[in-house]
Amino acid sequence: MERYTDPMAHPSPWTDIGRHDLLPAASHDEIARFDVIAQLNTLLAARLAPAVRASFEGRVSPAWAARHGHEPRDRQEVAEAMSSDPAWRSWSLVRRNTMEMRQQAGRSLVARQATALRDRAQALNEGAATLQLDPSLPVPRYVSAVDTHLMRGGYTAEQIEGDVSNPANYDAGFFATVGGMAGPWNDAAGRALAAWLQREHPDFQPQRIADLGCGLGHNTLPLRHAFPQAQIVAVDVAAPFLRYGHARARSLGIDDIEFRQQDATATSLPDASCDLVFTTMVLHETSAEALPRILAECKRLLRPGGLAIHLEQPPYRRFPPFEQFMRDWDGRWNNEPFWTSLHEMDLTERMARAGFRPGEIFETECRAPALVAADGRAEDFGRSPVWYAVGAWQTADETAAAIG
Amino acid sequence: MDKPPPLRADSDQAASPAASPAARGRRPEFTDDPMLDRLYSVTLALVAELAVTRARLDTVERLLARRSVVGAEEIEAYRPADAEEVEARSRLHAEYLERMFREFTPVTRGDTPR
Repeated sequence: MERYTDPMAHPSPWTDIGRHDLLPAASHDEIARFDVIAQLNTLLAARLAPAVRASFEGRVSPAWAARHGHEPRDRQEVAEAMSSDPAWRSWSLVRRNTMEMRQQAGRSLVARQATALRDRAQALNEGAATLQLDPSLPVPRYVSAVDTHLMRGGYTAEQIEGDVSNPANYDAGFFATVGGMAGPWNDAAGRALAAWLQREHPDFQPQRIADLGCGLGHNTLPLRHAFPQAQIVAVDVAAPFLRYGHARARSLGIDDIEFRQQDATATSLPDASCDLVFTTMVLHETSAEALPRILAECKRLLRPGGLAIHLEQPPYRRFPPFEQFMRDWDGRWNNEPFWTSLHEMDLTERMARAGFRPGEIFETECRAPALVAADGRAEDFGRSPVWYAVGAWQTADETAAAIG
Repeated sequence: MDKPPPLRADSDQAASPAASPAARGRRPEFTDDPMLDRLYSVTLALVAELAVTRARLDTVERLLARRSVVGAEEIEAYRPADAEEVEARSRLHAEYLERMFREFTPVTRGDTPR
């Protein structure tokens, strides 16, 4: 019975993914492969991870305590104690291989239709002033040098002229990785932010919004729905993702979001030109050098009364050592080189260093609202994905000082 | 809108080395023997592909039932009709196990029994 009370027990089938013109076509077996990935991830979370915890609490931690006179005191000691634990090794092997198989499933899916996808993107993007690419933009090394979460070639790779296959892989595969938990449009973080703003600050009506590190824009679109009057600029360094994201938005009937190929550390937007500047799951994929510059860029862009807010996973300090150790897995084993540093960081302190007034800086939680299908059937997407968020409001005098 | 390329029953033509090269960066090893890590990879791929095959079989059975060609009951009630069918099924299993356990069968190497 437990199986049926556990919301993670039934990931959404891939066929529940939101349809748009850029979504790659998938055969029966390709869909089945994605569904198996979702099931494996469910198994990892529901069965194998608890086995790792049981092993730690039942055998590894007591053995460590017997040798050292205390239980493992921090993440590093847990890692040392667990390094040869069979449960952890098995969990890691299944997790790493599931990630690899997810990439293979997505890559093989898009490889055979790369040209068709590219042509469809081109047709939708043709002549649109809202897509602004800049081939001369230098790609930061933290993007170009890393195959983030095992995505071959990273965000900027192009196999063919005008390629959109990596974002197509990302879009299709993300749904499988999270078992549809982020909703049919993979946009739960954007919906969570919009819902938080509407609930906590119902009078806040941003006129201009900037999404920094927008990727394929999946988390940008909910802000369009929440603030129909706002002008929205979505910025990223990766041309393939901007092409795909712009075409995807158009296919979904949204043609007024500007997608600009720019670096989040130095956008072309003027000083004090935005009311809302945000990132979703971006900061952990940057670098120690870029992070403070991105936070400072947000500060520069805000008008008085404007808000900068960043959605991430919670910092490690909120968790006991064992959970920190488990959460740190991606940093070391899933090609997320800045993951560990970011989660060890006090982002409120970094926001203060970026110039925000300490009293205006806050931490909060953004929760995606449950979705209901068009036919009234309650969809199983209402698993309430939750993000940690750190934000800061811009005050009037600060802006004057910053610009003056 | 142009049509996507036709889909084949199995999509293995797309799972070429070019379509799925490893990510850059050192591949981690979680056991003390690289061969064991590799065995895990093959086993998990096998796990996934068997699940895909079962899903396909499930689809075929459901479609056959939907069109009243062959129902689940008929499949469950299947018994070999004659000696030839008995032998065919037995051969199927024996050949399959031979493939699975080839490394456990000394005669295939012509070696002395291990």
